[in-house]
Amino acid sequence: MRASINRPPTPDVDEEKRDEPTLQDIINIKLIESGEKENLKELLRERLIECGWRDELKAQCRALMRKRGRSNTTVDELVRNITPKGRAMVPDDIKAELLQRIQSFLMSVAL
Amino acid sequence: MTSLRKRSVGDEYKPCQHLLNYKARHGVRGFHILQKCLRIRPPGRVSIKRDEKEVQRCASCGRARGRLYACLLCATIGCWVPPDMMHARSHALSRPGHDLVVDVDRAELFCCICNDQVYDPDFDRAVICAQSAALYSAGSIVKEEGVNGFTGVSLRTDREKCLIDMDQYMLDGSKKSEKRRKTRRVEYRPWVPSPEEQVVLRHRSTPLVEDGSLPSGLRGLNNLGSTCFMNSVLQALLHTPPLRNYFLSDRHNRTLCQHRASHICLGCEMDAVFSAAFSGDRTPYSPAQFLYSWWRHASNLAGYEQQDAHEFFISTVNGIHANSGTTSPRAKHSQSSSAGDMDCRCIIHRVFSGLLRSDVTCIICGFTSTTFDPCVDISLDLEPNIGSDKSFTDSNLANIESGRELKGASGSAFPGASTLLGCLDRFTRPEKLGVKEKFFCKNCQLPQESIKQMSIRKLPLVLCFHIKRFEHSSMRNASRKIDRYVQFPFSLDMASYLSSSIVRLRHGNRLLLIENEGYEQQVPSSEFELFAVITHSGKLDAGHYITFLRLGGQWYKCDDAWITSVSDEVVRASQGYMLFYVQKTLCYKASEFSTGRENYCWIEQNGNHFNPGFLSNPLLENGVSA
Repeated sequence: MRASINRPPTPDVDEEKRDEPTLQDIINIKLIESGEKENLKELLRERLIECGWRDELKAQCRALMRKRGRSNTTVDELVRNITPKGRAMVPDDIKAELLQRIQSFLMSVAL
Repeated sequence: MTSLRKRSVGDEYKPCQHLLNYKARHGVRGFHILQKCLRIRPPGRVSIKRDEKEVQRCASCGRARGRLYACLLCATIGCWVPPDMMHARSHALSRPGHDLVVDVDRAELFCCICNDQVYDPDFDRAVICAQSAALYSAGSIVKEEGVNGFTGVSLRTDREKCLIDMDQYMLDGSKKSEKRRKTRRVEYRPWVPSPEEQVVLRHRSTPLVEDGSLPSGLRGLNNLGSTCFMNSVLQALLHTPPLRNYFLSDRHNRTLCQHRASHICLGCEMDAVFSAAFSGDRTPYSPAQFLYSWWRHASNLAGYEQQDAHEFFISTVNGIHANSGTTSPRAKHSQSSSAGDMDCRCIIHRVFSGLLRSDVTCIICGFTSTTFDPCVDISLDLEPNIGSDKSFTDSNLANIESGRELKGASGSAFPGASTLLGCLDRFTRPEKLGVKEKFFCKNCQLPQESIKQMSIRKLPLVLCFHIKRFEHSSMRNASRKIDRYVQFPFSLDMASYLSSSIVRLRHGNRLLLIENEGYEQQVPSSEFELFAVITHSGKLDAGHYITFLRLGGQWYKCDDAWITSVSDEVVRASQGYMLFYVQKTLCYKASEFSTGRENYCWIEQNGNHFNPGFLSNPLLENGVSA
């Protein structure tokens, strides 16, 4: 365990043996590598707060917690229950804006 | 009557058995190692990476999707994409003891067996220490071994002395004030007059007239020509519990006040209005002398024009503060303090003065500059006005000096009806300062884009909210009034707008600040109760002010000379312009220059329902009540 956290990253050879990464995975990794994902996350966070999504989601979580009782709810259950609702609640214009940003990022990488 | 709030998550939280086992076997060493892998991004977001360029993937499937967790024992990264991709969980199940993982995106502990987030004060301390260290990594820092072997940071260079390490500052501050409070907070003892005092009270004071039908002090005020702005504020001030108790217990005696001979003294005028209102006479009173003195005090506002009630309020409280010529020589201290001073002992600042905290965080390096500003009221913005002038930072500085606070609009709308809580959320939420108003970051030595966040460091005894019901359009170069309904609660809990809550929120779900006992209790009471509402009807330049007052559980409408009792619904439906809230539970502090009794005269438990028994009498000997 000692200093084990500093062990070298898993060699890439291992990964190639596994099933082919999907296009989605490749884009995701590109976004992380370039640091663009952080920017997108920050933008998304800002937008979701602005439009009231965050408050609404918080209220839903509270309601669920109240229904189930504080001691018998786990974070994992909360995430499972709320995620579909949360996804459905994201306004379309925010999705469009993010898609636009991802597209222009991919264009700039491809060029 | 509410008891002192003791809300501490730390009391209720019990870590799971797996976390206890982990700590029993491995101690806090793993956290120490983990500290080196923490990456801090402004504003205060923490993630875990072995090096800056690393792209974390699940060791089993090679994907970087969903939540990723790193095992605390062997650093294996596993994914958590319910329902089928749970490699972090299978890792924990296949290797006993490898139950605890850390979320790589958030640096929070998770137990794979319980499927739940877990909290550990030592872990949180490690994270917060790393966060603080990151803030200073650009400058030269001296590291020293802190508690539990974690790295603490101490500031040595001159430049850094002026930087405020948020966490250390808050913790040290709370410890210090904790100590101070312990010595200064005293228990409530009702004042029982001694036999001699009883004699004096009987002979030298006037009992309040109780006529049963209306609460004492309720008296209409005649309109002296567009003076409803004054009447509405006076009514609110007359029934502000601590102010009322102060004046009715003869703490500012107009016949003994030395100020009166040489200057205009608004305190004396206020004393006269109090005497008139509580005299038992119900025929409307004309506060002409008060108006005249106020004109002389604020000569720029003199005249029979309509004025803004809020402006009048600010001008009046400043006037009372400036001439707080109490007859008590012990209170002479207060004369030397400047306006808006937190330590000012004058009645106005003891009642209305709060402290606002403003944090400006550079988004490039994460350096936070914290400033504290006193305020006597809180001005709240309504929904933003599109296309408004955004250069509010300069005006902000100017306004803070006069005890007022402005916050710019930032282009968003909240759903549904406007509420006071919504306005408070807006007031305290992090706000990105635009490109135009770059803040000079002391750490980068450059003007940088930044995030500003307001919070309330110290709550006043009486909270006065001013809802900014006017907007200025730079396009039309005209101002107009916003006639929007703002819902306000009768009972208000300010806990979530306090600096302690807001700063904690910025750090995420860390136990540390809660663990520090007394952090929460630093605020004796954050629960407030509405007692006065000033409403405005009409346009920006002409209209009418009415005050709703709550006395003994009943609401009264004070419309100049006319006073009628109204139902709660009428008040709820009104268009509030200024809202006055009083703390539900008042606490007692021993004062430096008093024998102890002085304090009890003006602070009474649950002030709103306290009925002062005696009316101010100019003949009452100073020694008895002061």
